[in-house]
Amino acid sequence: MSTSRDAILTRLRDNRPDPKAHPLPPVARLGDMDNGQARFENSLQLLGGQVLERQEGDTLATAIARRFPDSKIICSAVPDFDGTIRIEELGTPQQAASVDVLVVRSPFGIAEMGSIYLSEAQLKDLNSAAHLTQHIVVILSAKNLTANMHTAYMDRPEFHTANYGVLMSGPSATADIQGVLVRGAQGVRTLSVWWED
Amino acid sequence: MKVKPVNHAKAAEAFIEDTAHMDFHDERLWDLRQKRDDQMHILPEWQELRARASAIKEHTLANLPEYLEQFEANAKKNGIHVHWAADGAEHNRIVGEILEKHGAKSLIKSKSMVTEECCMREYLEPRGVVVTETDLGERIQQLDNQMPSHIVVPAVHKLIPDVAKIFAEHYHTDPNDNSAQSLAWQQRLAARPVILSADAGMTGGNFVVAETGSFVVCTNEGNADLSATVPGLHIATIGIERLVPRMADMGVFIRMLSRSALGSPITQYTTHFRGPQKGSEMHVVLVDNGRSHRLGMEEFWTSLKCIRCGACMNTCPVYRRSGGLSYGAVYSGPIGAIIDPTFNERKYSTLPFASTMNGSCTNVCPVKINIHEQLYKWRRVLAEHHELPFVKREVMYMAGKLMGQPSLYRAAINGTEVALSTMPRFVLYNWLNPWGKHRELPHPVKQTFHGWYKQNRLKTKKKEGEGA
Repeated sequence: MSTSRDAILTRLRDNRPDPKAHPLPPVARLGDMDNGQARFENSLQLLGGQVLERQEGDTLATAIARRFPDSKIICSAVPDFDGTIRIEELGTPQQAASVDVLVVRSPFGIAEMGSIYLSEAQLKDLNSAAHLTQHIVVILSAKNLTANMHTAYMDRPEFHTANYGVLMSGPSATADIQGVLVRGAQGVRTLSVWWED
Repeated sequence: MKVKPVNHAKAAEAFIEDTAHMDFHDERLWDLRQKRDDQMHILPEWQELRARASAIKEHTLANLPEYLEQFEANAKKNGIHVHWAADGAEHNRIVGEILEKHGAKSLIKSKSMVTEECCMREYLEPRGVVVTETDLGERIQQLDNQMPSHIVVPAVHKLIPDVAKIFAEHYHTDPNDNSAQSLAWQQRLAARPVILSADAGMTGGNFVVAETGSFVVCTNEGNADLSATVPGLHIATIGIERLVPRMADMGVFIRMLSRSALGSPITQYTTHFRGPQKGSEMHVVLVDNGRSHRLGMEEFWTSLKCIRCGACMNTCPVYRRSGGLSYGAVYSGPIGAIIDPTFNERKYSTLPFASTMNGSCTNVCPVKINIHEQLYKWRRVLAEHHELPFVKREVMYMAGKLMGQPSLYRAAINGTEVALSTMPRFVLYNWLNPWGKHRELPHPVKQTFHGWYKQNRLKTKKKEGEGA
């Protein structure tokens, strides 16, 4: 047992304000409860994400081919789409770094933020693949939208079970150089959502 | 030898002289403040969110030992190694030992104010560990050998040509590159191979959830997720005050953090780490470094509620016009001015005076820290502890004497009229009067109110009295 641990805990017990004077507020569901697709799309676009265009007769493969015509390596993390390589075949982050487009299914999205959720369950334990790929296409069902951050944290079991769980809200971005917003910083350069229903 | 206080006023003066940089800095941060306001106005529940965030944080701090123990037990159950560091030196030793055990010679890390507090890079680098900051702003600051000047946007005091020059020197890029897009792309190109070959990764943690044994990291560039998921070893350095009791509490904080910081609804990445990736190792270092002491300071413990959004910095007229580096401390701006003196009262004794006391910092704080009141209280504490600079102390002593005795005060005020109109400039504008450095003293009045009252009303009253 660490002595610093005990010293810190003892000092905190000696120094803390009266716990009885600071009760824990009950959990609350606040804010707009609209979990509709339109709200999600608005939020997604505000954060630089896109909805992958679906033309008459399109499949996911044809939509990706049109959106990313120069892509060579299209990696699939879903059973119902082939791509050029499966995520299970990548094996290492170094391999994942060569991927142009990663296709993955998200278990839920958050309408308030336009966020999609991914964990090791969807990324087949290669979590870095979601950040090393140049572009990401996320398959999402409008049925799996939750209204806002409160409902997400209260209702989605993934926050209690996944070892790695990321909410991605649009592509990576930075404004660290003279305040100029650059979409596509160090992670994915674009994030597109493909509605599956 | 006693440590010298930071000369904030002098450093700020140098910053102000460079008009191009100061104007941009001022406008950029004010723009962030306005974007924050726009987001606030969208949410009718904003004030309720603030009240809840404040109450949750105060409750957690009052029950911190229990919540830390709960977090530790749950994190261990999830397979996380939990370490406790009493101070920066112990933190650095722990991190050094973990790296040594793994034979790790290269560490990639995302932005973490705690590692800045601990001076971790300075400890690890002489021991043969190459530390690479992967956040763009933080990397610019690392290459330029400067501290972050803002807790959210570390290089906000620099312009595009400054960055182009630094990148040209270190990345051999075009020194005349005038595009932020192209410079950001250069950072991506330079960082990728370093990330892919790193032995270990490090992140901070914005929130720690006791109930689940997890921690949450909020970033925009994707560099924290890369740092955490690419190498097989992830170390997270986190201050012990970062706890929240329940996962369901996170909604309150995530809804306000980025809105307060940058005026964006949420950071591009909000990542929840609850245990190691398959085949990897995860360590959490819980850092005290003065926090348990601060919890016992009756007037200042609520500064531990801070979620490091930087809203108080963006709104502060002094910060916007003096730049973060002028504070000479890891934490700058209003929140820095109330936290820094707990680290070193003498060294940071000047910082609580870097404020106009307009209270804007308190108004924008998402967890309702009474920042401007604490600034005022620090001034009093520093005066009691004799940590005021000589001129300020002497002038305040004389002011106290004068204001305590009406007759002396009146004589002095009458004297200022004579002084202001007759004294040569070098007597009025010298080092004893820092107030006059960038300002003109007010025009002296011909007659004070008290003088006028004495001459007119008092005479009338007397006459009336005599007549009765």
